Amino acid sequence: MMTESLMVVGPLLIVAVGGLAMMLVDAFSTQKAELSIVSAVILLGAAAMSLGLWFGGPEATAPGIIGSYLAYDGLAHFLDLVICGSTAVASLLAGGYLREHRIERGEYYVILLFSAFGAMALARAADIITLFIALETLSLGVYGLVAFRRASPRSAEAAVKYFLLGSFASAILLFGMALLYGATGLTNLQQMSVFIRNGAAPPALVFAGMLLTTVGMAFKVGAVPFHAWAPDAYQGAVTPATTYMAVVVKAAVFGAMIRLLVDALGDLSIANDSAGWPPALLGLSVITLVVGNVAALVQKDVKRMLAYSSISHAGFLLLGMVAAWKLGGGLGVRSVLFYLAGYAVSNLLAFGSLIAAGSYGKEATSYEDLAGLGRRHPWLAIPFSLGILSLMGFPPTAGFFAKYYVILAAVQGGGALLWVAVIAVLASAVGAYYYLRVLVYLFMKQPEKDAPVAVPMASGYVVAALVMAGYFVVRMGLTPGAYLALAADHSHHDANLDWTVFLIDAGVAVVGGAIAAAIHTMRRREQAGEAAPEVAG
Amino acid sequence: MQIGLGTYLALASVLFTIGAIGFLTRRNVLLQLMSIEIMLNSVNLTLVAFNRWSPGAPGEWMLQGQVLAFFVIAVAAAEAAVGLAIIISLFRLKNTVESDRADLLRH
Repeated sequence: MMTESLMVVGPLLIVAVGGLAMMLVDAFSTQKAELSIVSAVILLGAAAMSLGLWFGGPEATAPGIIGSYLAYDGLAHFLDLVICGSTAVASLLAGGYLREHRIERGEYYVILLFSAFGAMALARAADIITLFIALETLSLGVYGLVAFRRASPRSAEAAVKYFLLGSFASAILLFGMALLYGATGLTNLQQMSVFIRNGAAPPALVFAGMLLTTVGMAFKVGAVPFHAWAPDAYQGAVTPATTYMAVVVKAAVFGAMIRLLVDALGDLSIANDSAGWPPALLGLSVITLVVGNVAALVQKDVKRMLAYSSISHAGFLLLGMVAAWKLGGGLGVRSVLFYLAGYAVSNLLAFGSLIAAGSYGKEATSYEDLAGLGRRHPWLAIPFSLGILSLMGFPPTAGFFAKYYVILAAVQGGGALLWVAVIAVLASAVGAYYYLRVLVYLFMKQPEKDAPVAVPMASGYVVAALVMAGYFVVRMGLTPGAYLALAADHSHHDANLDWTVFLIDAGVAVVGGAIAAAIHTMRRREQAGEAAPEVAG
Repeated sequence: MQIGLGTYLALASVLFTIGAIGFLTRRNVLLQLMSIEIMLNSVNLTLVAFNRWSPGAPGEWMLQGQVLAFFVIAVAAAEAAVGLAIIISLFRLKNTVESDRADLLRH
């Protein structure tokens, strides 16, 4: 009985216990342990378990006491998959990056695991108490990761800015939740939605609570005009932490948004085309799309450009969120979830390539650093271009279908959504400029004479991460149907979905990554072996 | 004057506004952190007051509001610990805790 009931939160337990175990290993190991691969294995294990739970987890035997605080539906399992998979790749990237730049310490991976635990709990929060605690577990971990490079003033500055604005946002969100609690006397989101549907809640309190929670969430996902922290935090943090932040925080917070806004506060009496959160979110979506894409045009730093790009992606997701409400789940929620997965793999690939392009002493951060990289190192330029094209939404990549499904859902929603969809397409066209600029620098420019050239790092971990992310960018771009079916909302399971497809995909990605890393390491050893006599001679 | 839910909510709103204004106008990072703490405590006051005079489920002695208030206290402590650590690391590197002087990251 006990074991069955804990099964439904199994992925959470794996990550939490794994994190604790890693703390012990780090404290007692005398030589440097390979913590990055250990944490990646823990996270991939949790991802495999959430895939198993998606296909016939013991939903019927799950107890009410867990269920009233942590949901265990298709949405939760899918987001677990996205969060654990992305964090595993981010942890491999960190393994390469931190070692290369001589700042590797064990606590990075421990914080990463606990923060991922918070993200998973946030995506399945069924009660505002869980929602708040999970959000803080996630955020406190990310503040630590951003501040990780202790000797760098930029890192400290980014962490202070992110910490202050993040805590401010949490306080606003919390005040909103307190008002929602006051309006209903309930903390459980589902009971809250029933209570509101019955018209028993004072509308003034509900509206005030809704406003504050929406603002708090908008802060966390970096929607304009609450995005001021994002470019600074993205630029100042160590790049693997930026990757994690860009991917996982968005996935988890949008998951919580579906539960809080669409499910709990989605009743037509308080949320409709002219009142409540849907028009507010649509407005935020429009300015986020426009400002995010336009501001990205003028950036000189690639990490900052990717930060504004992630802001513009938040605009797309906000549109998908309103479509999810309008369509009452179905394609709307599917499109948001698929977008989160496609956005995750594209960003992992783009940031991973950026990490791989630099080495100790010279990181690749500006456009100039990338000049001529395609000529000098074509093997690195291929995944980089693929990631950038996917972020741009170029077919056939995951990013293209992500945008396609959100726009399809918005068109089905009709009304004002249609116009926002048009704006979204136009804004993406503007966005193509700054994405293509990366490709121009990669393939058509040459570095200035005497400028310091960023030399790509040699790390098997990073190669493995790039292969894994790249596989899914192409896979979800070529045949997105299976993944759209996997991105089911709540209990809308497709019983005919074949689970072997996903198992094979995961296997191919992991094994492919391992083989690529092995080949890479062997070739590097050979080269080192060839180079050594020359030096001696 | 009758002391009831309205009184507490008014006090909480005033505290929340003071905290928000303090956060937005102050440039000293420590004072901004203190402003956030004031905001969190105003939330606690709101939660406990609503728990006592809940308009939602009258007569039922549910304690979620007070439980959440305890969690908020615990989380606020954790947040202060992380925040002060980050502020100390900023102070070590830049010898200042003024957020205006943290301007390395502009383009």
